Amino acid sequence: MNWADLGTIAPVVVAVLVAAAILIVDMILPGRRNAILATALGGLGVVAVVLLAQAGHTGKAFGGAYSLDNLTVFLDFLFVSIAILTLLFAVDYLESRGLPLAEFAAILVFAVTGAMLIAGSTDLLLLFVALELMVLPGYMLVAFARRDPYSTEGAIKYFLLGSFSSAILLFGLAYVWGITGTTRVDGVAAALAKVVAGGPLAPGLAMGLAFMSAGVAFKMAAVPFHYWTPDAYQGSPTPVTAYLSVGPKVGAFAIALRLFVGALGPVKADWLPIIIVLAAATMTLGNLVAITQDNVKRMLAYSSIAHTGYILVGLAAYAGGQQSGISAILFYGAAYTFMNMGAFAIVTALQRRPGVSSQISNFAGLGRRDPWLGALMAIFLLSLTGIPPLAGFWAKAYVILAAIQAGGWLTALAVLAMVNAAAAAFYYLRVVSYMYMRDPAGDTEPSSPGVLFRAGLAVACVTTLIFGLFPAIVTAAKSAADALHV
Amino acid sequence: MPILSLIILTPLVGALLIAVLPSKETDLIRRTALAFALLAWVLSLGLLAALAFGPAGFQFVEALNWIPDFGIQYKVGVDGLSVLMVVLTTTLTWISILASFKPIKDRVKGYMISFLVLEVGMIGVFVALDLFLFYIFWEIVLVPMYLIIGIWGGGNRLYATMKFVLYTLVGSLLMLVAILATAFAFQAGHGGSWIGAFDYQALAAWAAGGHFTENLQILAFLALFLAFAIKVPMFPFHTWLPDAHTEAPTAGSVILAGVLLKLGAYGLIRFAVPLYPFAAHTFAWPIIVLSVVAIVYGAIVSIVQPDLKRLVAYSSVSHMGFVTLGIFAFSAAAYQGAVLQMINHGLITGGLFLLVGVIYERTHDRTIAKMGGLAAVMPLWSTAFGFFILASIGLPGLSGFVGEFLVFVGSFGVAPGIAVASIIVMVLAATYLLWMFQRIAFGELSEFLRSLGGHLTEIDRTELITLAPLAFLIVVLGLFPSLVLDLLRAPTQVFLAAVGVAVGG
Repeated sequence: MNWADLGTIAPVVVAVLVAAAILIVDMILPGRRNAILATALGGLGVVAVVLLAQAGHTGKAFGGAYSLDNLTVFLDFLFVSIAILTLLFAVDYLESRGLPLAEFAAILVFAVTGAMLIAGSTDLLLLFVALELMVLPGYMLVAFARRDPYSTEGAIKYFLLGSFSSAILLFGLAYVWGITGTTRVDGVAAALAKVVAGGPLAPGLAMGLAFMSAGVAFKMAAVPFHYWTPDAYQGSPTPVTAYLSVGPKVGAFAIALRLFVGALGPVKADWLPIIIVLAAATMTLGNLVAITQDNVKRMLAYSSIAHTGYILVGLAAYAGGQQSGISAILFYGAAYTFMNMGAFAIVTALQRRPGVSSQISNFAGLGRRDPWLGALMAIFLLSLTGIPPLAGFWAKAYVILAAIQAGGWLTALAVLAMVNAAAAAFYYLRVVSYMYMRDPAGDTEPSSPGVLFRAGLAVACVTTLIFGLFPAIVTAAKSAADALHV
Repeated sequence: MPILSLIILTPLVGALLIAVLPSKETDLIRRTALAFALLAWVLSLGLLAALAFGPAGFQFVEALNWIPDFGIQYKVGVDGLSVLMVVLTTTLTWISILASFKPIKDRVKGYMISFLVLEVGMIGVFVALDLFLFYIFWEIVLVPMYLIIGIWGGGNRLYATMKFVLYTLVGSLLMLVAILATAFAFQAGHGGSWIGAFDYQALAAWAAGGHFTENLQILAFLALFLAFAIKVPMFPFHTWLPDAHTEAPTAGSVILAGVLLKLGAYGLIRFAVPLYPFAAHTFAWPIIVLSVVAIVYGAIVSIVQPDLKRLVAYSSVSHMGFVTLGIFAFSAAAYQGAVLQMINHGLITGGLFLLVGVIYERTHDRTIAKMGGLAAVMPLWSTAFGFFILASIGLPGLSGFVGEFLVFVGSFGVAPGIAVASIIVMVLAATYLLWMFQRIAFGELSEFLRSLGGHLTEIDRTELITLAPLAFLIVVLGLFPSLVLDLLRAPTQVFLAAVGVAVGG
């Protein structure tokens, strides 16, 4: 390790320092929420500035284990945005429930550090370590409301299945290492290109592929490896759910990009069928179950499974020979992050006072009793449905476009995705119907969120609109995807 | 001057302006909405006046790159057909907004914003020359209509609006797949360049060259046809329509029947047929048969409807059957008849819904069986209703006649049996409409109406103002159909050339 290496991984280093600083500030000035918030938000701001300075540069560190390229910067930006938004949405919620802010912020930043490390990992072992760094704080976040039995239950389920799947993934990585003799991503790709030239897949490699697919599918909550999701999502404090629905998911797709595209690209014809089946099952089941939910949080949890399915279509399109599948994944990830966090933020706002559930009946008449919250929720839900000209529409359009270009079975997958999108309209619009077409019932007190919360909502909403009106932003995703050209 | 963008933006600016007005200022909001709708109307009339009749192809074309990576543009332009549709839209919109002044008392701000956004979407669909842009406007129409039915509708509005949305979405999302597949076929045929891949003119030229494979044409046509057939709606995709119409507020029904159904027919004429001529020929017969089924079925079902609005809704299914029959007969007279019928249906059915709305305002009921003897208490209303009913039946001298007659003449050469069958239905139309009119207007004043006493007031001045332009146009187009047909001459040639029928036939 030398100074140049440190410069290359500067954003990760700064993020770790920010997390540490939050803990130190809390120690020196206990209970001073403003100081903690200032440290956390300011620190994340510094990370963003460092990222800006890195944009456009490329480099490798630690002998090629970590690489800085456009993909790293793109994903890092996304992760920092996720951290900032989560923090903004969590402040009121935590305060009204007497939950400590400093620990929350520190754990969150640690988790995001792990995600950022994934983004730049080009070594199988580093990838695994980074993954664990991302998910371990995640378990703690789920259990954060420790007096709430649901929170604990969700955390235990998440932890058991999560560590199980990590082990499976590691097992798969070991097979790949055994066959290719290297843990470097580019080395694996080069070795595989030779190994598989023409012939059928070696049994060991097939085993490795199967284990890795299962491991990654667990992390991204793809059917049939999704069972932990609804309980973990529903049990978690709502701001944590918002984070879980995007942070680890985008992280899992970052792994998929580095691992499946970067390392296993040469055998993509072999994992294409797996991804097609996963995508089809994931979006269909996620949607079907979401339709029957009466709890908005749980509905959004299942719908996030469905979105995983749509993103997998992009991965399948890549495996089908379309580079544009990768930029579609990235654009989808970014668009999904903002619209989904926005939707969860509104749920959080309704639950500002403890004891208010996220049942759909609590949304009745929201458009009348709180016009701004109602309108924003409508925008987020319409975007999630995929109505133009909002971000979610372009996300779907780009994915579908890549799939249709790839042709063959992928065209059928694209049609299935669109049928699913129509079915999804039912449960998203059902919430809109409750908000606007029913009279307020029960709790009619306005939620009057704080300034920080409003700022977060504004960011999520403006981004959803900007992505929708200026979809040429996909160019940024494209240049990030080009970093993976192998 | 970018007049088309100006027409699209006018209602949008109105909607944004209303969004910042305080909700309590309901009168100001109503007047602002009407002012912007009228402004859009005047602009569209200016467009109509400025359009050159002679040349084929599009005029007032504006093009801006939007997503250069995929060759997606903001490209708009008009020919005679689109201009007629735009004017129909702007006319019916201000009428609908004016007609909503009294009935809509709750959440006026949201209502007017929805209506103006709806207008943006509708105009956009008729002027878009980029397939992606077209799709976006198509979807934009959906949301305000969903809200208009769902918030300001009748008792069963939640069911009706969800059904409307889901039907439309299933069709339109498959259409998106078809549009992308078409663009990709174009791109693959141009050495991987996306330039022009969504451009309607480039695609139409490419299609005219017979470059799209038969496979692609069949699949893409079916997807587009499904989307448009749901919107028209053609039998058997019509079941959302009676529910949506019955539950929608009066102005919502006017726009739904007057413009939204035309979106589907316009899509067939503009996109589905010219881009996939092989498929259009392949499926022409089944579609003609479905059209006749719709004409007959709609008429028969109308006879037994107990609800005034439902009756008018089912009669729409029947009347729109003439439109699809005319489109797929592939002849000049049938095409022009179809377009004329689109306009007539918009004017006549719009008027009928307004008149039913007048009665509903006073009685809060639409059951035919409860009515009777209205001619005695509301002679002016009854006269107007009788006029629109005669127009709907197709009385010569009124516009309804010309459209159906041209479709009849045009399809007779192609399929005499079918044409005769459809014309016999006009007798059925006379049956259900006149019988309904007789039941509600003549005879003794019914028990129910008597119980309302002084509430049953004559149609007022505002309501007459909303009906007057429609009645005027029905008479004018009935006497001088050439006003519209001259505009359609060039688009007819283009359409027939695209489907490969001898020009002038």
